[in-house]
This record gives sequence, structure tokens and C-alpha cells, in this order.
Amino acid sequence: MIASALVPRTDEPASALLRTLAAQRASGAMSTESGIVYVASGHVVHVESAVTPDLGDLLTHSGALAPDGWWQAIDQAGRRCRVGRHLVDSGHLAAGALELCHLGALFDAAYFVLAHDGPVLRFRPGVAHWLGAVRSVPVDTVLRESRRRRELLHRIWPEPAIDLAPLARVPGDPVDLPARRRRTLAQVDGARTAAQIATALACRTFHTLVELRRLAAVGLVVPAGTAGTATATASAEPGPAPLPGTPDEPDTALLRRVLHALEAL
Amino acid sequence: MPGIDESLLEAMRLPGARGASVVDWISGLALGTVGDAPGGDPEATAAETAELARLATESGALAPGALAPAAGAPGGPSRKEPPVQDLIITTADSYHLLRFVTTTFDSTVFLHLWLDRADGNLALARIRLAELADRLVLG
Repeated sequence: MIASALVPRTDEPASALLRTLAAQRASGAMSTESGIVYVASGHVVHVESAVTPDLGDLLTHSGALAPDGWWQAIDQAGRRCRVGRHLVDSGHLAAGALELCHLGALFDAAYFVLAHDGPVLRFRPGVAHWLGAVRSVPVDTVLRESRRRRELLHRIWPEPAIDLAPLARVPGDPVDLPARRRRTLAQVDGARTAAQIATALACRTFHTLVELRRLAAVGLVVPAGTAGTATATASAEPGPAPLPGTPDEPDTALLRRVLHALEAL
Repeated sequence: MPGIDESLLEAMRLPGARGASVVDWISGLALGTVGDAPGGDPEATAAETAELARLATESGALAPGALAPAAGAPGGPSRKEPPVQDLIITTADSYHLLRFVTTTFDSTVFLHLWLDRADGNLALARIRLAELADRLVLG
């Protein structure tokens, strides 16, 4: 019975179908291998990705909202697709807080859904997300922002492996770091990926990636398994390096930077 | 309770207000804009002011609280006040007021108010923008 609502697999890139949906002022859910984009009247209203924390994670893991409040809102308003509205009306969350957190999660997930612009698996017309309308964004804005974010990461440190691989700290004494970068570095343990670190911190994954690429740029973080790194150390605290690195480590880091700079020319 | 647009429209009621926006200082994205932007390009303005805001919040010299101690940094999410409250930039004919918004959840945003220097009242705008930033996330 649901089959009639399914558009056959299109294999069209996600960005191309999104533009079509915007032009048709369509509503529904577009799935790719990396996530789901919900559109209403041709605008993006919500995006979900497996590698980014969703709105509930961001709100409850940070303590901004008690888990009871979140689940109660889903119980009471989920079927009507009005969970967002309910959170505000019931006094759990200020309207501005909901909008900021929702937009944060939307653009975060959109970046990863559109990063590789994979083929669309299916589009389900009329399907709405249970969160309901919070703030909608034009398709063009979402596409442009995802592209801009990709360029921003590339400018910081042009090594995409940082985004997906388990990450390890480079033994050494880090200089003073901004608090956010320090918190991110403390989660790098040789096993976790950027997405897992973001989840542990209840932070958006793209924003965690920015910190991780900055840490990579100063030679403090590398993909695990890279020569000369101490992987899977028990403690992420600074201190004496638990495993001896290769003697020419600083030179290796320098050479990698030079290599990347040359490649970027 | 005000949302993003209501808060920005309220900021625009300040004397001399030319434009207002909410900007994420890590990504450089404007989450909302009202009124004009210097140079006519709100997105470029957002990206550039975001970079300024980021440098200010990460500056160990201007705001010693911005740098975490080398050891013992807790791994949890930030629930602290940002180390910098606001930035004021003065040009020949205008002020730019950037006010950081404190949230319990992960958000890295500030309010940007572009104020005409002849008609605007910087002291008043600074107080009102701080109130707006609080009400935006607290209701």
C-alpha cells in the first residue's frame, strides 16, 4: 500500500533532485545513503544524518532539556508532527533556542548528506517529519552552505581523511588551546572518529570537524595508524607520551604540511 | 517568546539600526538577517564578522578565560559563559555591535547589529542587544 507513494530509484544526485523539488514546491522525504532530507513546499524543513547528532541528542545530552521533556513531547505531539511546537508551548524551550538548535542540526546533517552528493535512493511524497515546522530554509541556501563548508574545511587543513578515520593524538606538548579545541582534543583516543567525538561532546559534527582539522593543521591530531602516532592510548590527558614516537616526528609533521601545501597549489 | 526573526526585528527598532543578523561564528553562516548589510551582501558580511568573532573568543591575550588549562579539561559540553561578551567596531559612519549568545546546547552564535553612528546610541544598543540575546534563548 505504501508502494504507490514511492518514486522509483532515480540515481539522480541529491542536489539535482533537491533543485527539482524546490522548483515544484514539493513536500516529502528524500533518502540518500547518508541521510534523509525533508522538504515542505519546496523548502528544506529538516535533515537527518547517521553521522550527526539529532536535535534530541543536542538538547538532552547538553542538559538544555530533560530527557523526560523530550520524550513527553514526542509522545504527545509526534503523531501530529508538532513536537517542536509542543516543546515551546509547554514551556520546555524558548522559541529562539529551538530555532537555533534546529538550524544547527539541519545544516550539520545537510553538510554530510550533500558532501558527496550521492544518488537519491527514493523520494516519498507527502511524508513529513514528526518534529514539524520550526524554520524552513530555501534549497539554494542549503546547497550553497554545504559547498561553502566544504571549502572552509579545505582551507583549514586539506586532509579529508580526518573526517572519517579514527583519530589519534600526536605525542607532544600542546600549546595553549581555545577551550572548545581543548575539549575536542581530549576526546581523541586513537579509536573514535569525528562523528563519535561529536556525539560524546553533544556537539554538531561539522563544528567538531573544524576543531579537528585545526588540530591536524598544528600537528596535534592525525588519522590513527599514521606512522609515528601513539594510537589507542588509555588516557587522552597531556603528559609524557605513553608510546615512544619515531625520532623524526616533528619533521614528519612539517613535511606533511609542506606536501599538503604543494598539493593545494 | 521571541524567535530569531522577532528578536532581529526588535533590534531593528533601536534608533539608527541599519541591519541585524544572527551568525554562527564557526561556520560563518547567517541563521537570520533583517535590514541591510554593509556592501549589500549579508552572507559575505556574516562570514567576515564570524571570523572576527572567532578570533576574539579564541584570543588568550584579550580574554584569558578563552584558553583552557593544559590539564584537567573536562570532556563534557560547554555550559559556560563565552569568554567574550561583545565586540564593538567603529567606522567613520557606523558602529558594528557583536553580542555573543550563551546557550546550554551546542551553538556558537552571536547577534550582529549595524548601527548608524549619527542616529544610534551605542550604550543603549549594547544594553538592549544583551537583553535580546538572553531572551532569544531563555524566552
